[in-house]
Amino acid sequence: MTAVGHNPPLISADLQALAVEHGLRKVGGRPPLKTYVQDLWKRRHFTIEMARGMTDSSNEGHRLGQLWEVLTPLLWAGLYLFIFGVVVKTRAGTENFVGYLVTGLFIFRYVSGCMSLGAKCIRKSQGLITSLQFPRALVPMAACTAEMISLLPAILVMFVLALTSHEPIRWQMLLMAPAIVLMFIFTLGLAMTAARIVDALPDLANMIPFITRFMMYVSGVFFSISHFAGNGWLGHVLSYQPLAIYIELARSALLEEVAVRPTTWLWAIGWTTLMFSFGFIFFWRAEARYGRG
Amino acid sequence: MADTTISTTLPLAQGAKPTLIADNVHVKYKTYGVRRRPEGAKAPGFAQKLAQIGAVDVVHAVRGVSFVANHGESIGLIGHNGSGKSTLMKTMAGLIAPAEGAIFTDGTASLLGVGGALNKNLSGERNISIGLLALGLTPKQVEDATPGIVEFANIGNFLQLPMNAYSSGMAARLRFAISTAAQPDILLIDEALATGDRSFRERAQRRIEEIKETAGTIFLVSHSMNTIRETCQRGLWLHRGQLRMDGPIDEVVEAYESALG
Repeated sequence: MTAVGHNPPLISADLQALAVEHGLRKVGGRPPLKTYVQDLWKRRHFTIEMARGMTDSSNEGHRLGQLWEVLTPLLWAGLYLFIFGVVVKTRAGTENFVGYLVTGLFIFRYVSGCMSLGAKCIRKSQGLITSLQFPRALVPMAACTAEMISLLPAILVMFVLALTSHEPIRWQMLLMAPAIVLMFIFTLGLAMTAARIVDALPDLANMIPFITRFMMYVSGVFFSISHFAGNGWLGHVLSYQPLAIYIELARSALLEEVAVRPTTWLWAIGWTTLMFSFGFIFFWRAEARYGRG
Repeated sequence: MADTTISTTLPLAQGAKPTLIADNVHVKYKTYGVRRRPEGAKAPGFAQKLAQIGAVDVVHAVRGVSFVANHGESIGLIGHNGSGKSTLMKTMAGLIAPAEGAIFTDGTASLLGVGGALNKNLSGERNISIGLLALGLTPKQVEDATPGIVEFANIGNFLQLPMNAYSSGMAARLRFAISTAAQPDILLIDEALATGDRSFRERAQRRIEEIKETAGTIFLVSHSMNTIRETCQRGLWLHRGQLRMDGPIDEVVEAYESALG
C-alpha cells in the first residue's frame, strides 16, 4: 500500500485537496470565533473545577485550611487600618473610614489578583496545556473564577464590618451583586490580556507587581480621590479609570456616605464591555501559540 | 485545485479513508535568554553570559514532514533521540502549532505522554475531573466514567491524595486512563507503555485494540523495536526532523537498525 524508499513526493496541493475531499479539519490552529465560543461554553464546568483546584491547592498544607479565605482579608484589613487610620491619617473626606478602606482594599486585591494570576496561569498550567487540547481561554477564566471564590468570603467580611460600624441596612446593598458581576466580566478581559502578553514576553511578568502597586496608589484604595487629588483633570482621570469605578460601585452599595450615581454605572458598563471584548479577541487571536515553551 | 485525478498520484490504497494528513509540517521552538554553544566551545565566562541577554535561539525540530495516515492503521514513529518524534506527536495532537504547513485530522487526536500528572499538587480525583471536563465531557459523563478510570488505573485508595504522592507508574496509568476515556478518534502514544508493570501493559494493549476498532488510527513512539513491531503495521522513520522512510513496519525497522550498524 505504501511504497518504500522511493515514494513519489507528496505535493502540498494534493494533500490539501485530499483533506478537503474527506472533510478533515485543520488542527492546532485558531478556530473561528463562533466555534471557539461554543467550545468554551461546552466546557464551562471545567472553569469552575479548575478554579477550585487552584484555590484548594493554595490552601493545602495549612492547618487552618479554608479558614484562611476569611483570615487573610481580615489580617490585611487590620494592617491597612493601622497604617492609614492610625499612623498616616488618610481618613479625611470620609465618614466611615473602616468601611471605606476595607471595601477599597478587597476590591483592589481581587482585581490585582486576577491580573497577576492571569499573567502566570498559562505557565502554571503547562502540564495541562501540553497534554490536552482545549480552548486556552479557559485557563485565564479559571484564574479569575479562583480569585472570585476567594473574594466571596471577603465580601461577607465587608458586610459584617459595615454593619458593625453602624451602616444602616438599605436596598442599595443589593447593588453589590450586579457590581461584582460587571467587575468579574471586566477581569476576565484583563486576565486574558495579561495572559497573552506574558506568554509572548515572559519578562513582562516582572512588571506585574509594579503595575498593580501603581493601580493601588491611584485608585483611592485608602483615601478619597476627590479630597486628595481635587476635581481638576488629574482627579477626573483618577476617578474614572476602571479600578476606581468598581471600587466606587462597591462603596456606594455598602456605605451611606457614597451616593449611587447612574454615571458611575454607565462607566462601569463601558469599561466592562471594552475590556472584555478586547481581551477576548486579543487572547483568541494567539490561540495557536500558548504553552509552546 | 481539487482535481479528482490528483488523488491517484498519492500512495493510497483503493477505498482507504485518510484520518490524518500532515502537509509539509515544520515546527520551531524558541528559547529566550540563552543560545546554543558551537560544538567544542568552552563554557561561557561572564562576558559571554552578558552577551546572551536578549538572545533568542530557534530550534528547527521538524523540517517538512508529509504523510497520509488512514483509518485502521497503527503507525510507529522511530528515530534517534532529538529526531523530532515527540514534537511531531504534539503537533498532531494540536498542542503546538506548526510554523509552516498544516496537520488535518478527522475528529480529535489525544496524546499520551510520559508526563504523569496534569497537576501534581491536586488529588487523582481532581485530576480526573479536570482532565475529562477539559476534553469536553459533561459533569454527568465524568461522574459515570470515574469508577472505570479508577479501576483501570488501579490506584485504589490513593485517589484522594495529591498526585505528587503517586509512584510514576501510578501516575502514568492514571494519565492513560484519563486520556483514553473520551474515546479519541486518533490516539498518539509517546512511550507511555514503557512505564508500568506487565499487567498494566496487557490492559493498555487491550484498550488500544478497542480504540483501534472503534476509532481509527494509532501512532506510537517507542525506543523498543519489539513494542513497535507488536503494535504497528506501518513505520515512519524520522531523521533530524525529516521523514527518511515510510513503509511496512518490518522493512522500516530493518532499514533503521542496519543504519545504526
